[in-house]
Amino acid sequence: MIHLDHLSYAYPGASDRALSDISLDIGEGEFTLVAGASGSGKSTLLRVLNGLVPHFTGGSISGSATVSGHDPIAEGPQALSRIVGFVFQDPESQFVVDRVEDEIAFALENAAVPSTEMRLRVEEVLHLLDLTALRGRPLDTLSGGEKQRVAIATALAFRPQILALDEPTSQLDPQAAEDVLQALVRLNQDLGLTIVIAEHRLERILPYVDGMVYLSESGDGVVAGSPRRVLQQMDLTPPLVTLAKELGWEPLPLTVKEGRQLVAESQIQTSGSRTHTSPRATSGPLAAQRKPQIALHNLRFAYNGKPVLRGIDLEMEPGELVALMGRNGSGKTTLLRCIVGLLRPEHGEIEMQGTSIIGRATADICQNVGYLPQDPRDLLFADTVLDELRITLRNHGLVDHPPLAPSELIDRLELTEVAHRYPRDLSAGQRQRAALGAVTVTRPGVLLLDEPTRGLDYPAKRKLVQLLREWQDQETSILLVTHDVELVAQAADRVLLLSQGEIIADASPEMLTASPLFSPQVARLFPGTGWLTADDALRGLNDNH
Amino acid sequence: MLDPRVWLLWALTVLVTASSARNPLYGAILLLVAMVVGATCATEDRQRAPLSPLHFGMIAIPLSALFNGLTVHFGDTRLFTLPDWLPLLGGAVTLEAIIFGAVNGLTLTVIFSSFSIFNAVTPVRDLIKLTPRAFHEAGVVLSIALTFVPQTARSLRSIREAQAVRGHRVRGLRDWLPIVIPLLTSGLERSMGLAEAMVARGYGAVSDRGQPLRRQALLALGLLVLLTGWLMVLFRPSRQLIAAGVMALGTLLIGIVVWLTGRSVSHTVYRARRWSHRDTVTLVGCILTLAVSVTQREALYYSPYPRLTAPSFNPLVGLGLLGLIPPALIEMISDRDDPGMSKERTLA
Repeated sequence: MIHLDHLSYAYPGASDRALSDISLDIGEGEFTLVAGASGSGKSTLLRVLNGLVPHFTGGSISGSATVSGHDPIAEGPQALSRIVGFVFQDPESQFVVDRVEDEIAFALENAAVPSTEMRLRVEEVLHLLDLTALRGRPLDTLSGGEKQRVAIATALAFRPQILALDEPTSQLDPQAAEDVLQALVRLNQDLGLTIVIAEHRLERILPYVDGMVYLSESGDGVVAGSPRRVLQQMDLTPPLVTLAKELGWEPLPLTVKEGRQLVAESQIQTSGSRTHTSPRATSGPLAAQRKPQIALHNLRFAYNGKPVLRGIDLEMEPGELVALMGRNGSGKTTLLRCIVGLLRPEHGEIEMQGTSIIGRATADICQNVGYLPQDPRDLLFADTVLDELRITLRNHGLVDHPPLAPSELIDRLELTEVAHRYPRDLSAGQRQRAALGAVTVTRPGVLLLDEPTRGLDYPAKRKLVQLLREWQDQETSILLVTHDVELVAQAADRVLLLSQGEIIADASPEMLTASPLFSPQVARLFPGTGWLTADDALRGLNDNH
Repeated sequence: MLDPRVWLLWALTVLVTASSARNPLYGAILLLVAMVVGATCATEDRQRAPLSPLHFGMIAIPLSALFNGLTVHFGDTRLFTLPDWLPLLGGAVTLEAIIFGAVNGLTLTVIFSSFSIFNAVTPVRDLIKLTPRAFHEAGVVLSIALTFVPQTARSLRSIREAQAVRGHRVRGLRDWLPIVIPLLTSGLERSMGLAEAMVARGYGAVSDRGQPLRRQALLALGLLVLLTGWLMVLFRPSRQLIAAGVMALGTLLIGIVVWLTGRSVSHTVYRARRWSHRDTVTLVGCILTLAVSVTQREALYYSPYPRLTAPSFNPLVGLGLLGLIPPALIEMISDRDDPGMSKERTLA
């Protein structure tokens, strides 16, 4: 179905090639995962399949590509739109009109498909993507997962043979991502649709794929084949696979179920094992009963009369990392916005080191509270990364006596090489670290992070965890809003579970193992041990040995 | 749901009538009608405009009254006098000028309300369909621009907040730079993303063919003939009839080009809307109001100058303006007959 032969491509004006000598074959009806770090060329490879590269982007291309007997390089994206349906990362960026049904019909109307056939096709995709109940809804009232399913439906309206998806779940919470992936599995299994998907979070998708393509970071190598074969040659893999590789399990498990079978077969003893080691326990014991860095008392907030936060009580000690979890709409982001003064609580108190900050201006509060919103691009506008940090200092009147030298912080954020580059051109991980620099250059005592791992690859996530630990060592209290259970397992001292505006659980990360919704892979593999990360499991197993 | 052409006529009728009705009593009736129609048809979830008509009025009416009061120095009822050395502002501030400014603000609010309602009740797909086939591409561009409005408003809010958490405070014009730059950049990024998505969905595969040379030549000829007719009107007043004929010929040629271009646009309609009796009722109402605004121009007019007097009121004219109310009545009847639809809209 797809054949690439010695394909190389460079973007206009770029000295390095985005794709270098790529040769691969993808068969009809296969579900193929394209993996690789940010900047490895995953999106570029997908865009070659429908001719967006080089027709939309420009640049120089060599080698050949054949997609269902067509040459996308010669024929271009408009001709290939009937063969390859394409879904982008952000569903909102691809909508033209404002209602579900109209959006699906838009491309068909422009292609002059007869109206009777058009209605049939629209019904077809509404049914396939389980969108019939939403057909008349305005798009901006849909959830993220629903929007992405609409985007897939629009891509399928031409009945393409191939569906290419560029990180379609990176902006979604776990439940919405699962819904989208289940929809793709149905399309692949029921219709025999060939699916090529680029994705960072491999643990989500590995159970479903038939084949895998791994692009190395430098863009000059490709490994293609069965997922097990490719995973063996990758450095950064999901915790389950990392553990299996360390323990020499063969074949590599792709699902927790397969992992459990291997555990049973290898007769691993887990009884009497020690539990999860808190990150703080390794970096130094918590001082007993110190004055809280930040304290929230009976905090309430309502939006248009509808309660969003219902009496939140929370205290954080210096150097403590607290993860705040919960389903979408449970009030997590609202709580962060109340703390930094973007929203005014209707009742309650927020204290920073014993002093109330309610009613103070956001700009004042944020000299001591660093807040990283979900989209770090909103923060970035200067010409260089270094300027971003200087502007924050200037805003706070700290240019002459910065609490932290910008160059030192840039060094610690591993951004020295890109310190003089335009921040919005950086990779997702670098961009996020630049934004972190912009909000932490005042050396705040409290750091609030809203979904910091969204859209990040494994190396970027690893760097973030390192940074969080460094900040903790400097007594910074961190409140982390996330859906990423693996991150919580690695980094959190304490986990809060928010539901309908109330904290329903406040416990150690081991609490995660009790809930199937929030338990990481390792906890599900070794239930009852308290192990949350691959490191926990390896240490525990070594102790038993 | 009404036909988008009927909604367009409704909005245009409000525009025409509000422009003629300088009498604040009739202006108030029009505003009341627009608010009732807005409350029933353009519910909050359908709003696309960043500013509600009420908020617009709260800004426009006082601002217009203040501006006119300070810059226009006619009228007999002097409130106070500003020193003459103040450029533009120097002179008497009169009650009449303030009232005239407030009436202007009221007219602007009525017009803003009508187009805000039209924008909210008409799905973007219908807006595209309102444009003639020859201008299909322009219709798509316009509709995209409209969908960008709420997105940009959301973007502006999140960027302002993001900059505030970096200690940014808006004190003067220069302080808007850290907000405007990311707003523009994100807008451009979104535009590029949308363009890429549209190309990936095959958009432009038909329209990229361009205009045939003969049609372009015909358009140039039509414009030339129209220009000739216009020049004749200006410089040969004795040959007005011939000039009118030449201009009509030019218009006809341009019309033919538009028709031919429309025919060559390959485009089908997913679901054609059928004309209903609701559309007819609204159409008749609009015609009635239009008739009133054309035939009762003097009754609708009011000027507070030179001395403020109470505006007159003719109940029949006021009744004629109620010809714009049918959309609200239709919506209420539909809700009563089919409460499920109402619920669905509220949920949406």
